[in-house]
This record gives sequence, C-alpha cells and structure tokens, in this order.
Amino acid sequence: MMNSNYYKCKKIMNIMDKRGEKGQLAIFVIIALVIVFVIAVIFLFPRLKIALSGGEFTPEKYLRSCIEPEIKPKMELLNKQGGYANPQGFLVLNETNGVEKIKYLCYTNEYYKTCTVQEAMIKTHYEQELNNLMKEKIKDCATSLKTAYEGRGYSVSQGAIKSSIDIVSSKMNVKFDVPMSVSKNQESNKYNGFTVEIRTEMYNLLILSQTIVEFENIYGDSEITTFMAYYPHLKIEKIKLSEGSKVYILSDIKTGESFRFASRSLSWPPGYRLQ
Amino acid sequence: MKVKMNKKIIMIFAFVFIVLAINNVSAVFNNTGCCEETKNGFFCQNVQEQECKGVWEPTSCDSTSYCKAGTCYESIEGTCSSNTPRIVCNKVLNGSWSAERPAACNLGCCVLGDQAAFVSLVRCKRLSGMLGLQTIFNKNINNEVQCVLGVQNQDKGACVYELDFEDTCKFTTRAECTGVNGSVKGEFFKNKLCTDPELGTNCERTRDTICVPGKDEVYFRDSCGNAGNIYDASKIEDVEYWTNVKTKTDSCNSKSANSNSKTCGNCNYMLGSFCSDSKTAGTRPIYGSNICADLNCEKTANGQSYRHGESWCVYDDEGTTGKGDNAVGARFYKHICVNGEEILEQCADFKQEECIEDKIKTPYGDFNEAACRVNRWQDCLLQMNELDCKNTDKRDCLWKEDIKLNSSFEGTCVPKNTPGIKFWEGEDAKAICGQASVKCVVTFEEGLVSGEKCVKNCECLTTGWLNSRNDICKSLGDCGPKINWLGKIGYKTGYNYTIGKK
Repeated sequence: MMNSNYYKCKKIMNIMDKRGEKGQLAIFVIIALVIVFVIAVIFLFPRLKIALSGGEFTPEKYLRSCIEPEIKPKMELLNKQGGYANPQGFLVLNETNGVEKIKYLCYTNEYYKTCTVQEAMIKTHYEQELNNLMKEKIKDCATSLKTAYEGRGYSVSQGAIKSSIDIVSSKMNVKFDVPMSVSKNQESNKYNGFTVEIRTEMYNLLILSQTIVEFENIYGDSEITTFMAYYPHLKIEKIKLSEGSKVYILSDIKTGESFRFASRSLSWPPGYRLQ
Repeated sequence: MKVKMNKKIIMIFAFVFIVLAINNVSAVFNNTGCCEETKNGFFCQNVQEQECKGVWEPTSCDSTSYCKAGTCYESIEGTCSSNTPRIVCNKVLNGSWSAERPAACNLGCCVLGDQAAFVSLVRCKRLSGMLGLQTIFNKNINNEVQCVLGVQNQDKGACVYELDFEDTCKFTTRAECTGVNGSVKGEFFKNKLCTDPELGTNCERTRDTICVPGKDEVYFRDSCGNAGNIYDASKIEDVEYWTNVKTKTDSCNSKSANSNSKTCGNCNYMLGSFCSDSKTAGTRPIYGSNICADLNCEKTANGQSYRHGESWCVYDDEGTTGKGDNAVGARFYKHICVNGEEILEQCADFKQEECIEDKIKTPYGDFNEAACRVNRWQDCLLQMNELDCKNTDKRDCLWKEDIKLNSSFEGTCVPKNTPGIKFWEGEDAKAICGQASVKCVVTFEEGLVSGEKCVKNCECLTTGWLNSRNDICKSLGDCGPKINWLGKIGYKTGYNYTIGKK
C-alpha cells in the first residue's frame, strides 16, 4: 500500500515536473517576445523612446526631446559662420577639414578706413536665422506631438504651426505657436502654444560680438584683454590675417560654446603704398 | 691742349646699384563710387560700378540716402547700433533707422538686484524681465561708474517673509525686500544672514557652497539657496559666522588668491583666482563642490609666469627688432594669460603694427600690459634732422648720422622696425628699395710719373661704404641682403654693386 502510494506520488511529481518544464519554457518564450517587441518599438519609434525615457509625458518634454538633437548642429553651423547659414560677404578660411566661410559683420574694402557695419543686430538676426533653419523640424515635431497624443487615445485638433526663437540670458526659448486642444474621456486641455527652454550661453556671446563690432566700426579695432577682464567666463581670441581681416572667436569657458565672425577695419597696406 | 692732356684726369665712375628684381604690374586708376550692395554681398562699399549689383552712385556713401550712417534702434531688445547704414538697419526685424540718435537710446542706470547696468530704458525693462525683477531705471545718472557705485552701496541683509504659512528668507537688498524692487515683500534685517537663529526662518546651514554671479569668491549656501559668508572650512560650525555678514577683508586669507585652497574660498580675480567648479579646477575642497580656480599662467613660452589678464610682447622670429633690420616675414605677437591658458594675438602683418608693453602699478604688484600699436614709420625718410627723426610722439624712426640719402639732409632717418613689402608683386618694392640705389662718382688723378691717385669719393670703393649702403637699403623695408623670419638668407644677393670706368 505504502509502495503503491509512493509510486503514485512519484508519477504525479514526474508529470508535474514535465508540465513545469513546459510552463517555464512558455514563460521564457513570452519574455523573449516581450523583449523583442520592446526593442522593436524603441528602434522603430525613436521619438517615443525619448518621450518614454523622460518619465511623465508632457508636450514640452516631448517637443524638447524632438528638437534638441537637431538644433545643436544648426547652432554649430551658425556659430562658425558668423550667424549666417549661407553667408554673403564672407571671409574664406582654409581649415584642415575644408574651406570655411565666415561672415564679415563689419567690413571695408579700403585701407586706412574703419569698417561699415554689415549686420546691425547680431542676436536678432541669429534668432531669425536659427528659426528659419529649424522651421521644418519644428513643424515635424508639432505634428508628431499630435500623433503621440493620438497614440495615447486622445483626440487632438491642431491649428497652424508657427515658431520663433528668443535667446535670453543662459537659455534659448523655442516657441511653438501652435493652438491645440487635446481631449480624452472627460479630460480636455487647450494650449495656445508651447515653449521649450534649451540651456545655452549664446546670449552673452552674441551681445559681446555686437559690442566688438561697434568698437571695430568706431575705432577700427577692439581690445580683447579688457573684454575678458569684464567677462571672466568668456575667452576671446583675435586672429589677424595678412590682408587686414580679423577673425574673432568668442567662447564660453563653462559650456564650450563658441561664436566666430570676421571684420576688416582700419587695415594698413603693406609697404609705402607708393603706387 | 698738351697741358690739358698731361693733367688728364681720369675719371672713373663707380656705379653702385642696389636693386631688387621685381615683377612689373601696372597700376590702374579706377573710378569708384558708393555701392548699395556689391556682387560679393557687402553693403555700402566704395567700389567700381561693375562690381556693384545694387544702386551705385559716383559719390561717397555718406552722401547717399541708402548708405548714410545713423543710429539703428531695435525696439524689442532696446539696443542701439550707431554708425549704421540705413540699408543695413532696414533689414533688421523691428529695427528703425534715424540720422540723429533717438531719445530711446539715451542711457541711464538700470538697477538689477544687487547689480547695475548702464543701458537704455527699453533695455533695462528687457534685462529686468529676464531676471524676474521690477524695472528700476534712473535716467539722471549719466555715467557708468556712478551707476555701479550706487548699487554697491545698497544695504544688504536677510529679508524674512512668509511662504506657505512658514517663515522663510532671502538674502537681498533692502529695496528688493521692502517691495520697492518687488519680487519679495518682507521684513529686512541689515547685514544679517538668513541662517541667523534669531530670525527663526526655515533656512539652515549646509555643507555646500556656491559661486555667485558677479562675485569672485566661493560662498557657503544655506538650505534656502541663499549665499552665506565666504567659504571657510574652519567656520562651518561657527554660529556667529552664519549669523552676520562678513566683509571680504574680514574673511580668510584676504590678501591671498587662495588658488586651489581646500579650506578657504576667498578668491581674488585681480590676483588670479575665481570661483569655479572643483571638477573643472581639478582640486576638491573639504566641503562643497566649488573652489578658487587658479587662473594664472605658469612658465609661459618665454619661460616666465604671468597673472591672469596680463599680456606681454613676444618676437620670436629670427633677426632683430628696433634696429632697422627686421627679418622678412617677421611679425610681432602679443601673448595673453587667460584662465591659466596662454593665448596669442598677432600684430598686423608686414610689421604694420608693433607690440609695445609696460607695467602698471597695482595694489597687488606690477601688472604687465601689452598692445599691438600702429608702426609709425611712414614719414621717417622725410625727416631732415635728428630731432624730428627721434620725435617718438609722432613717429617710430631711427637716426643714422653717417649716411645720407639726400645730400641736403644731416643724416638718414629710417624706420625703427622696417615695414614689410609685397616684393613679389607690384611696383612698390622697386620704388621703395630703389631709394637706396646710388651712383657714386670716384675721381682719380693720374700721377706725373705713373699710377692713379684717388682724389674724390674714395670711400665708395671700400667695403665699409658698401656695408653702410646695404644697411640703408635694408632699413627701408624688405630690401637688400636680408634674412627671412626663419633666419634663411635669400637666393639672390639682394643688391648689385658695379664698378665702371669712363
């Protein structure tokens, strides 16, 4: 009796072990499928990945993650070309990675004369230029925001998309002027637009560039040592070229951001200029 | 006739030419005028008509309506750009141009918390807005120093106010605390810190430090985020130090830069230290994450050490300076010590600028300052006497008494630092260097018996004379037998020395 019970138990346990193995296998398969699905989602929807990784979903956070990777390279382009994407009236500089154009913000083609201002408001122009470069991306981001909301079960209505960029002290405000209403069940939200803040020290660099241009225009040169004494967090370099042009490079020591532009003012001809 | 023959004077003409080989490029005389926009994209330039893609007038730009210089005012930022052509201003969004400086550009004193800016009213509003402050603008203060001093003399202390049914505190100015400047309205305690136990606020001492914008030093930080006194590791538990405001001179090692000090945050910008993140500085303090970073430059290219902000002249090309014999292609450089880094600024090429330096006496010791200044050599050759030549108020020349370019002069006045010339193009070099060319007529008299005797200008046949002429030649510019900035001599002799007979 005891033996028969023992064998029954053993048989049951064997059956259970086999079932357990099958169950474990099924669980592993399900986990593997979930992992594959998550990876696929992350790879197929990078924007969703960014939004998800940021925790709580907010339009500002979503838009920020959408534009930030694009805006930085655009800023770098403007920063090395004097605030212009396609400069006219530029200095050609041969660098190791090719020929670079740097906009003359103050220029005279003559000797012995101070330069004529070529860009009166550097910061305002920079904002406009950056906005023009980012316009399409900003539209894409606003449209994908709508899609992201819809993917979360919201019904969304979105108006015309406009944008502007405002650089202020220590940051840049990217304004999405896009009226939007979002609703789900009883919940409903209306937005006139969104503002995304991006940390940047461009404000000081652009305002100081304006001051340097004024000095170039009035005195024909500027004393960079004095500027650096006033702004301890800024580094200013002035490179003088043979034909009288100067390249100013302004850098923020903490962030590493830099802005450069060219000027040609009060230059002297080589020799006695007898001819 | 016979006597004449006997006393035949043999004239030997020694011709000495010092001439450089130069390519000929003819100069072209051009008619230029004011161009609104050139084909290269420059505004308001004096160019020929065919280089212009906009409006062109055969007159100066200031006489035209589109390029006339005036003030450009941008109404959003409140900034004014003077001396701006109308066409350039018209391109600016929200920009308006006026021939006279508009009233909106008038400057006044803008108070921004415990700091100040000497700006226009609109600019003041913009800056105040950015900082979340109420606009305080005083148009009666008409100089920057007065403006800054006025703000520095403001009372500062703990401003106690209620927030969410709790007494909290902000370290600020009296004006801001009492509501004159608006962001908080509370009770003001002059020269008290927010951590004063008697104030009974929720602000407590911490072991953290902060860098305060506009200040050199590292400050203790309280739990409300306010700056306390200057960081001093020995005072971290000192209640009195967390109660009353201490001046810089009352704080630790006030006469020292305290660079990389782990215990004292009394940085001094003038001595070469400044509050910085300890990670960037590379040294960790005992408390907090900020330290007085060393901004000075140790052992620079010339082997000397300099303080932050100091600048000095460097001439490390071959050849000499100030002796009228600079090497071809040599250049002056100004080096600057900035944040522990040695950066350089080239003075203008072709030695059109030279570097000058001097020391300034400061309370912290001598401070070296250098500058690239225009090389005033242009009228050296015109000076007829030593006094005018050596007039350093007007020119940078060198007097050579023993040599005369012009027989009516007492000597020769030459540039102290010889200007560079584009000798590989144009006619300039030929004309400049040609001034040193000379024809010396040496007269010989035939002896009664035999031989010839030199009677006039005999020195022209000596090596000394040749060398002195070469010296003159070299001091005119990149002329004659010179070395280049690497110390290499030219492929040609740089002069011709010919002796002929007549």
